[in-house]
Amino acid sequence: MSLEILNAFKYYKKHTFVHNLDPRTKLFFAVVYTVIALFFVDIIPLLIIFLTLIPLLISSKLMKQWFKSIKSLSFLYLLIIILNTLFYPNQGLSFAISMLLRIIIMLTSFSIFFLTVDPNDLALSFIKMKIPYEYAFSFSLAYRFVPTIAVEARNIIDAQQSRGYEMQKKGIISQIKNLFPLLIPLIVNSIKRAFNVAEALESRAFGSENERSFYFDIRMSIKDILFMIYLILLLAAFVNLIIFINTGGALIYCPWLVWGLPV
Amino acid sequence: MEVFSVIFIHNIRYAYPNGTVALKNISLRIEKGEFVAIMGQNGAGKTSLIRTLNGLIRPTEGAIYINGVNAESKTIAELSRNVGVIFQNPSHQLFSNTLEDEIKFSLKTLDLSKEEIQSKTEETLEEFNLLKFRERSPLNLSGGESKKLAIASIICRDPEILIFDEPTLGQDAREIEFFIKLLEKERKKGKTIVIVTHNIEFTYEYIPRTILMARGKIIADGPTHNILTNRALVEKGSLVLPQIYRFIEGLNKVGIDVPRGLFSEQQVVEFVDEFLTKRLSK
Repeated sequence: MSLEILNAFKYYKKHTFVHNLDPRTKLFFAVVYTVIALFFVDIIPLLIIFLTLIPLLISSKLMKQWFKSIKSLSFLYLLIIILNTLFYPNQGLSFAISMLLRIIIMLTSFSIFFLTVDPNDLALSFIKMKIPYEYAFSFSLAYRFVPTIAVEARNIIDAQQSRGYEMQKKGIISQIKNLFPLLIPLIVNSIKRAFNVAEALESRAFGSENERSFYFDIRMSIKDILFMIYLILLLAAFVNLIIFINTGGALIYCPWLVWGLPV
Repeated sequence: MEVFSVIFIHNIRYAYPNGTVALKNISLRIEKGEFVAIMGQNGAGKTSLIRTLNGLIRPTEGAIYINGVNAESKTIAELSRNVGVIFQNPSHQLFSNTLEDEIKFSLKTLDLSKEEIQSKTEETLEEFNLLKFRERSPLNLSGGESKKLAIASIICRDPEILIFDEPTLGQDAREIEFFIKLLEKERKKGKTIVIVTHNIEFTYEYIPRTILMARGKIIADGPTHNILTNRALVEKGSLVLPQIYRFIEGLNKVGIDVPRGLFSEQQVVEFVDEFLTKRLSK
């Protein structure tokens, strides 16, 4: 069940507006949304930010997958709500809801990024950003192995359960102890695989040439530029908004912007 | 409906969450003490089928009875006492500091006393010739030895049904010999044994009953010597005829009369030996 979160980052080839954007544009998009989500602590502005994400989700046909991955973190949301409501000095519940929205915005924007970027293009775009090939490659390799490791985890759980291992145990200490039979084989196998992959790469002459050529290429198109301009305008608008709120203007002219629940 | 076979599968179907159907209309009966091979192409549903037997996956339709009890009502831990499944890759389950601990981990789930666990561990290590490695880490055993340990860690729990997934894969001749002896021993104790394998020669020589699967269905179920020598079935299951069978066929073709009922390598070698000495002495 806990592996559901991985669905948030699994790429499927599709041809929609967002899918066809350049990976760099999409990385910029994810960063912009994360930054503006961090500006605000009020419910209404965060809600507006979140609403601007919905058209993108719909147009890239990701609603279902997105909803599944958001749902899989419900325990975290519960934790955020309870802890903030109890321990935040005033208007705890409002603050908790804002923080929840913040997390969801960040998760959504990065999940849009990972769901729509082909891992191969990702490495390419890193290289275009002047990151050395070895690092770019190891990143895309790590990314590519996420589903493999998910399958392996499933097999390990099955193998251990076949010898009487029980997943649910009472008490925090025995729960932690209970992870060893799963984590040790997983880590050991991952390390073994890393060595195998390294050997396979070396035997195909990885790194023998300093200058590397690529069969595929990625290019910024007019769509990318338009989308980037939109993002910059969005960023500018929200920067204005945060200045408006912080200087007290909102409190006088648009009190609804800083509206919060009485508790 | 009679439900007292050791394994009784009634019309099960299983589809993965993504919609792929892995098992379709599978009905099956395996009696106590039987020795059965499940064969078929990769992706035919063999592994899914054995996973349903100890509850790792639950069929979406139909029912499974283990010893006459509906498996649906039991947890994986409860089922694993009766059904021991030994998976292909031993590195998926070895994690302890020493071999001894690895065996003890399997035994601890059985409500045994400390003394019983200790004596059972000794017994198992002895049986599998692993006593000399008892203090070693299971992570730096050789491939064959770690497979042995994985098998030991299930057999020590003494389940009455043993299910092996590709046990002969990557084993050398000696290890296979050890495995065959082990199977004989377990069969004498009255265990029911099911083996999923691609090893046609192994099945032909040792396993009396074969279940052949293709695309999630059972396409044949019966005596191995009927199934593996049936060209149409063998083709449908993406297998090839056993070497020994083809050899005998070849001998027949050149006019040498081979008596019926020769299935093992040894029998055929003996026959050819006898035949040649007779010929040469003429």
